[in-house]
Amino acid sequence: MSQMTDADNSFIQEALPAFISEAQEQIESLEQLLLQLEDAPGDSELLNALFRCAHTVKGSAGIFGLDRVVAFTHHVETLLDKLREGQLDLTPALSTLLLQCNDQLRTLVAQARDADSAETAAALTERAALVERLQAAAGHADKADAATEAAPATAPAPAPANTGSARCWHVSAAFGTETFRNGMDPLALLNYVRGLGSVPNLVCDIAAVPPLDRLDPESCHLAFELGLDTDASRAEIEGAFSFVRDDCGLHVLEPGATPEDYARLIEAMPDNPRLGDILVASGAITRAQLQHGLRTQNEAAAAGATARPLGEILQSTSGVSAQVVNAALNKQTKAKQRDAAPATAAALTGDDGRFIRVQADRLDSVINLLGELVIAGAGAALLARQTRQGTLIEANAQIGRLIEEIRNGTLQLRMVPIGETFSRFRRVVRDTAAELGKDVLFDIVGGETELDKSVVERIADPLMHLVRNALDHGLEQPAERLARDKPGQGKLTLSACHESGSIVIRILDDGRGIDRERVLARAWERGLVEDGVTPPDEDILKLIFEAGFSTAEKVTNLSGRGVGMDVVRRNIEALRGTVTVYSDPGEGSRIEIRLPLTLAIIDGFLVGVGNSKFIFPLEAVVEVIESRSGVSTPDACGRRVVELRGRVLPVLSMRTLYGLETAEPERISVVVIKSGSHSYGVMVDVLLGQHQTVIKPLGRMFQSLRGMSGSSILGSGEVALILDVNSLGEFAAGKQSGPTKSLEAANGGHKTLVRS
Amino acid sequence: MAKRSKTSAALPAAAPVASALALPAELTIYTVGELHPQWLTWLGAGPAARPAEGPTEVQAEVQAAAVEQVDAAGLQLLLSLQIALAERGRSLHIQAPSAVLRSGCAALGLGTWLQAQMTEGARA
Repeated sequence: MSQMTDADNSFIQEALPAFISEAQEQIESLEQLLLQLEDAPGDSELLNALFRCAHTVKGSAGIFGLDRVVAFTHHVETLLDKLREGQLDLTPALSTLLLQCNDQLRTLVAQARDADSAETAAALTERAALVERLQAAAGHADKADAATEAAPATAPAPAPANTGSARCWHVSAAFGTETFRNGMDPLALLNYVRGLGSVPNLVCDIAAVPPLDRLDPESCHLAFELGLDTDASRAEIEGAFSFVRDDCGLHVLEPGATPEDYARLIEAMPDNPRLGDILVASGAITRAQLQHGLRTQNEAAAAGATARPLGEILQSTSGVSAQVVNAALNKQTKAKQRDAAPATAAALTGDDGRFIRVQADRLDSVINLLGELVIAGAGAALLARQTRQGTLIEANAQIGRLIEEIRNGTLQLRMVPIGETFSRFRRVVRDTAAELGKDVLFDIVGGETELDKSVVERIADPLMHLVRNALDHGLEQPAERLARDKPGQGKLTLSACHESGSIVIRILDDGRGIDRERVLARAWERGLVEDGVTPPDEDILKLIFEAGFSTAEKVTNLSGRGVGMDVVRRNIEALRGTVTVYSDPGEGSRIEIRLPLTLAIIDGFLVGVGNSKFIFPLEAVVEVIESRSGVSTPDACGRRVVELRGRVLPVLSMRTLYGLETAEPERISVVVIKSGSHSYGVMVDVLLGQHQTVIKPLGRMFQSLRGMSGSSILGSGEVALILDVNSLGEFAAGKQSGPTKSLEAANGGHKTLVRS
Repeated sequence: MAKRSKTSAALPAAAPVASALALPAELTIYTVGELHPQWLTWLGAGPAARPAEGPTEVQAEVQAAAVEQVDAAGLQLLLSLQIALAERGRSLHIQAPSAVLRSGCAALGLGTWLQAQMTEGARA
């Protein structure tokens, strides 16, 4: 790093976040690929993709001078290469090792954020231990390799260098004149090459450097001859030079190249008469060898054989192995962008061009502005209506339609498939199951279901907890399962789908289910339910979400610390979502999380009660029926019932619920709301129609208010409250007491109500 | 170390040296464009402009203690200076190269070259 300039440093500071986020994606892919490989060991496409991911991380880390990452990834790559070449099989132990290495890599990349952070001795030891295990694993392959070589093989003998752990290549690189101007620094590049292995000899060929008076200081005239002791393949070595490849004379000689090869190398570079001397000086070959080589070459030429171009020689020499062929094949597939390439590989490598990376906060600020635009647009439309000028109203209506389209389009930008979050759990399930000695088949359904990015981010933790819980408490040990006539392998399914404007995430397991007796006993013990009182079945299950509840008989480090489920519920409710648990004892349980698609703007249905305005999420509104006040007598909480097509519909009165002290009009409307599997009605005075609702949080004072999920500012500047259809539904079904606070306090002080 | 003190002791005897060239803190692609004309002027002002000096090697002193950043372009400029001096029958003497310059040279395979530029003065 010390050789970097200020400009380099500032570039690195700017580009580093992008590197980190990309590296993290690669690491994520690595993990997914490793896990996929466990199900399909030996899949060459997956192995190749795996190798590419690791290589990309190493390559870009090299550019940023992250030596720790480069050095460590190098060892991982060596092992992956062995796997790819089929010299090694991916055993579960090896897979675990690679996953651990991936974790290490993740840590290292995270550390890259502050470059100066010193490593603790413990971290160093840990990494050294991993490297040792990697080398041991890779070395194992060498031994196996040597063994097969020793056996009389029918195949042509592999390159002799394969028997050693490291191989000494010879690299000859003449940098093009434009190298500096293209922003490349041979010094940094050579440092990167050092990361591939060790460089026992390096000579800078300065023959082409002109004296100062004839020098263009920004043109590069440097050439290098170096030996490179590495396990890396030809493709990797050449890859190191990929950024300067276009104007760099690069020749890579296989380990064990004969003096004739060097001779041809010299021939291939006619404008460098001193190359022979340099090669000798660099220790690549001895002078005697070189002269012998040159003589052979000349004799061959004299005998009439045309000297073949170096490239051809390199590819036909005995030492050229599968690596060269692979490299060539890789290039071909890349160049042709074959559609036939298997989906995994294509998904990982092919899609790059079709995406733009945008910082999330830029998007957020656009969405904030959009919220303001929606409100301002509504205000303008209102004013236009008041003027009663047809053309103005029409113009405003047109603007309104456009705003709505922009709104939908912009919110769509924030939508991400939930599958990425889901697939993170593969690893959790794998490790947790292994730790608990359970055999678990993990299934993901509906990973393509999209929802708002901020929701996705905030749902990950609660989901993690629920998944762990299902593994820990839900699924039984294999022996226990077999004893109950179930397959030994437990099944855990994570699914997602859209359902009437919200997303439903389900966590399904076929474990022992929830033991109602034990839940109840615990609830009595903890005083969550009055001793001896037995609530209805579904309410018993809900108790597991109460604070301070835990049924685990032994506290494991995975779950069972009693801080879990109530936090899960709170987190989900903070996202305006709900969580419900269903369970059949002995058959398994199902946890359903219902979340709104977005947290920012919804389509609302605006209604008025007295002087107050309320908004229902439009998706929840089924129909509106007309009614008369005083049709039925309200109960103590102001609930009534009406008959709707032969069925009894509970109806809530906003007046009673929130203590609005205005007289009820003669004719009222009942808005029929569907919440989950129930329907209920809400009595309102006037229907004000569809309304684009920018959701603002409630002021702190009103957060304890039940049945409200937020507020919104109308075009007129009035504040409307957004109703939480689920909690109102529970109230309608009589499951909880009504909201306690009077809304009258709120009516006087709109300003304090909204916290924006 | 002993070698270098000998060098500096030999300095006054090494005679009509133009004032030593001080290398800047930054010897990289970002400064070479600026340094090149300066160094050329310095080169022109040196004793090689007077061929009467004859074949005796004349040292060109370069102060290298201040170098804090190097890259290949910067080192190439230094190399080029040495080549130009050699053409004029002079040798480059790099005084007290900083650690950065040393490691930069080593990384570029110029370790022995640098060593030669440090000791050559002693020979003269």
